[in-house]
Amino acid sequence: MGNYILKRIMSIIPVFLLAALLTTGMIHLSPVDPAEAYLTAAHIQPTDEILTQKRHEFGLDQPFFIQYVNSIMKICQLDFGISYVSNKPVWDEVIYRIPATVQLAIASILIAVFVSVPLGFLAGVKKGSAIDHFSRLLSFFGASIPTFWLGYILVFFFSVKLNLFPVEGIGTWQHLVLPSITLALPLIAMYTRLLRSSVLENLQEPYVLFARTRGLKEKTIMTKHVLRIAISPMITGLGMNLGKLLTGTIIVESVFSWPGFGRYFIEAIFNRDIPVIQCYVLIAASLFILSNLIVDMIQMYIDPRISRKEGQHR
Amino acid sequence: MITSIRMIFKNQKVIPICSTILGILFIIAILAPWIAPNNPIAVNLAYKLQSPSWDFPLGTDHLGRCNLSRILYGARISLGFAILIFISSLAIGLIIGTFSGYKGGWVDHVLMRFCDGVMAFPSLILVLGLVGIFGPGLSQVILALMLVQWVYYARMFRGMVLSLKEQNFIAAAKISGSSQWKIIKNHIIPNVLPPLVVMGTLEMGWAIMDISAMSFLGLGVQSPTPEWGAMIHEGKSYIRTNPELMLYPGLSIMLVIVTFNLLGEALSERYGVKRRF
Amino acid sequence: MSKGNSILNIKLFILFILILSTLLVGCSNANNEESTSKGSHDNTLTIAWPRDVGEMNPHVYNPSQLFAQSMIYEPLVSYQAGGRIKPNLAKSWEISEDGKVYTFHLREGVKFSDGTDFNAEIVKKNFDTILNNKELHSWLGFITKIAQTEVVDKNTFKLILTEPYYPTIQELAVVRPVRFLGKAGFPKDGDTSKGIVKPVGTGPWILEKYKADEYAIYKRNENYWGEIPKVEKIKVKVIPDAETRVLAFEKGDLDMIYGEGVVSLDTFKQLKSTGKYETRVSQPIATRQLVMNTKTEQLSDERVRQALHYGFNKEAMVEGVTSGLEEKADHILPTNLPYTKDVDVMSVGYNVEKAKALLDKAGWKLPKGKTVREKDGKVLEIELMYDSAESIQKGMAETLQSEWAAIGVKLNIVGVELADQVQRFKDNKFDINFFSNYGAPYDPHTFLNIVSSKGFGFNEAISAYPNKDELIKQMVKVPQTTDEKERQQLYSSILKSLQDQGAIIPISYIKKTAIYQKNVTNFNFPANRDENPFTGISIKQ
Repeated sequence: MGNYILKRIMSIIPVFLLAALLTTGMIHLSPVDPAEAYLTAAHIQPTDEILTQKRHEFGLDQPFFIQYVNSIMKICQLDFGISYVSNKPVWDEVIYRIPATVQLAIASILIAVFVSVPLGFLAGVKKGSAIDHFSRLLSFFGASIPTFWLGYILVFFFSVKLNLFPVEGIGTWQHLVLPSITLALPLIAMYTRLLRSSVLENLQEPYVLFARTRGLKEKTIMTKHVLRIAISPMITGLGMNLGKLLTGTIIVESVFSWPGFGRYFIEAIFNRDIPVIQCYVLIAASLFILSNLIVDMIQMYIDPRISRKEGQHR
Repeated sequence: MITSIRMIFKNQKVIPICSTILGILFIIAILAPWIAPNNPIAVNLAYKLQSPSWDFPLGTDHLGRCNLSRILYGARISLGFAILIFISSLAIGLIIGTFSGYKGGWVDHVLMRFCDGVMAFPSLILVLGLVGIFGPGLSQVILALMLVQWVYYARMFRGMVLSLKEQNFIAAAKISGSSQWKIIKNHIIPNVLPPLVVMGTLEMGWAIMDISAMSFLGLGVQSPTPEWGAMIHEGKSYIRTNPELMLYPGLSIMLVIVTFNLLGEALSERYGVKRRF
Repeated sequence: MSKGNSILNIKLFILFILILSTLLVGCSNANNEESTSKGSHDNTLTIAWPRDVGEMNPHVYNPSQLFAQSMIYEPLVSYQAGGRIKPNLAKSWEISEDGKVYTFHLREGVKFSDGTDFNAEIVKKNFDTILNNKELHSWLGFITKIAQTEVVDKNTFKLILTEPYYPTIQELAVVRPVRFLGKAGFPKDGDTSKGIVKPVGTGPWILEKYKADEYAIYKRNENYWGEIPKVEKIKVKVIPDAETRVLAFEKGDLDMIYGEGVVSLDTFKQLKSTGKYETRVSQPIATRQLVMNTKTEQLSDERVRQALHYGFNKEAMVEGVTSGLEEKADHILPTNLPYTKDVDVMSVGYNVEKAKALLDKAGWKLPKGKTVREKDGKVLEIELMYDSAESIQKGMAETLQSEWAAIGVKLNIVGVELADQVQRFKDNKFDINFFSNYGAPYDPHTFLNIVSSKGFGFNEAISAYPNKDELIKQMVKVPQTTDEKERQQLYSSILKSLQDQGAIIPISYIKKTAIYQKNVTNFNFPANRDENPFTGISIKQ
């Protein structure tokens, strides 16, 4: 198994390098000249000599491969360049904003777990009942509602009309409620469905029948046995959803003025602040790759058969 | 409404019903220029923010444009481009996937690592990154979505080709003299179709969500093109006085995506295909 | 699956959840020092701004926000309504006969917020660091014309120019870069372009607390030499989303919404109609203009340009798109600026028949059964570019599109990003573009400077004017005049000629808006477009 872990970690590196290649390449394909974008943002007249000087500073006049290698080396030292807009190191700006996003993400995951576990479980156990239908309804609509739309509707009702929560900003737990509910809804939709189908699957398993014949109480069977086992696909699903979570934070942070990393990314896009865009995309990719790796490892730990089955699949 | 959905689930008629709904939506999208009561981009400030009337069945927006017409035309954009993205990413995926599976060796290896690289990005983030570099605009968003989606099809087709290469019936069929075309028709297509259809419906739903998210952020469709996400973006400034400007496009998006999702879900259950998250 | 594994699995899961929960609580604790305080409670005025205030350095530009910089740092002279220049840090000044030497007598007894003296030495130190980065500041006319600066004595400072440049005094009033940082704020090498040590200014406000991307709190300078603010603190909350700002204001979290474009005009009108708040609209601060590229074939003909001007209902468009908050403009520069009051221009009203006649005369005729005019086989098709982020520009573009269609002109509108718009203007890659002048205290001289400079966009756009060279010569001459009468004459004739020949069309006067809660009193718009309105303001508790 140790071998397997090592192999997996090794396979990450080329993927990561590739991601870096894609982002560096994107800069080159862009019609916007980074030197010019920088100068415009700084309100300096881009005369030819200043342009050439800036290009040299940015290393843009070197062959593509050298630039690529340079940027890889810099990235390993956590040097993502300087923001065109604020003139401060990108990494510092990012570190300043990440805690807010992490807080939001954690709150959403917790809400998602606390809602979807009981809901999904009950839906599976009491198949065909009102709870089941409710959970299926929730799953479908939760997965289909545009996050940005939902955010505004929630603000409108709960904040403005009912005055229960603040409209924007960060600070107290009340500020956290609406944004994290908005972010959690698609997750709830997914996990509820996952857990439900997993529970349904497990209910067919022989061990349930066996436990029943042994005379165990229904309640015990459900909680001590079925739930324990059924939850594992959901756990792996959790890891895979980091991508969706990340995407969601971008939108939610914009709607709720949450001062996190996602909002910063959007601002960078509008300002054509290329170093920041690059940094975000790379971090997002790394997180994604990492979480997939961890999920694979957990899955493999739970069921060693999977590692051999996995093979060609992802 | 809940009762009717319950009934749907009970009777397992999901697939035909969803397909019908989608069919209707597509027809509406195609016929929009004939069905729409007004010109969706005609600005007339005198009719600003009016309530529903015979002339304007769903009222007007802040520039006096007919809401209903804009919703109908918006369907063309969302559905039309979803199909475009689906077909083009399918085509690209098919070509690259089968080529990769067929060739094998280092070509296959390189291409698959490349796919891994692309798959390393959550799709919206890659789209945002591309838009950030190339600038906002509908074509950039469409292009970005295409570039992001083909990898899944490529993997699928490659997997298919690989497993088929191993199978004996291909050799057997060759020996028995079946033509290439017949092999494809009788063996390959039935295997490919179910996951393809499932993936397709779900991916199309996602594409619509992504297109409207980008337009909502102001990075996709440009004015005055009517598109649901852009309409929500414009409508949110009027949430306190005319919430319907946000309501109509939001409900439209939801309706379409729910239908796609229901269909995809039902299909995957029927054909026993596992969903990609 | 063995039971053992799943037990371990569950344990891991629960552990994971516990870790997450503690992290969450930890994070919120870190943020809890800032609980929501309702604005009016402790004599604090809370406003929202779409962006972070940025670095409080008087010598830098974006992303530092002008209004914030103006709270801490002061100019030698200040710009008041109607173009009057009032003494500020300089209590009086003299200009030599040849217009090249400015001698400033500084106000005595002024201290920086850290107690150090304000004197000619520190004025020179600030000028030195600004002049160190001349290219960065060359957009401000007089900077490039400075020959030298001199400390005559403790309270007397001399500025010597290479040539007479009358706008110097006006330009000294701008918010950046010529305002003064105290000695303690300068880095060791004296170069403020890379950053400052701390924001030490002479102004009525001091930066008390700053949390990037969230808020900035300013407290009043109790040792201010001038009128001490009535409000104790100003809190600037960063809220990028327009709708969220309004919702926060309605909820009472904000005392005031102020700024340009921070609230949509429809929203402004709607809030006004509720009667629950006070609303104010300022005097014109700038003119929104349409600039036509006379280098393109269709627009090189003055008759076509005039036809387009006659061909749309300006009043209705301005009323409709801006909800009556902007005013129809008859002059390309607002008339409340220096020297702009008596420009006698040809008046152009809405006249569809005249527009059609002009187009016919120019050779653009409407073929039977077609909707777009043609001449020599070419269609009268032009493109209008607008800033895609500006809803007013967008609305006007869409309106023009349909109005001009009625006179047989096909207008294609294209929304571009601001950076693109600026670039295409420079490169002369456009047919029609939106523009608005900078306003007080930069105009009217900066506008003439822009129009006459090569590489900005205007110079090339007016190429087809028969008297272009003469006009440019006059424009260059204006700043050098030392005689008031001659200056006024030149302005009147230049502005008239620019406008009458139709390549620059005035559309509307842009105004600032402010909405505030009823307990806020004594609000006044600053005469200097970039400054802040906080000085006289007070809040009833």
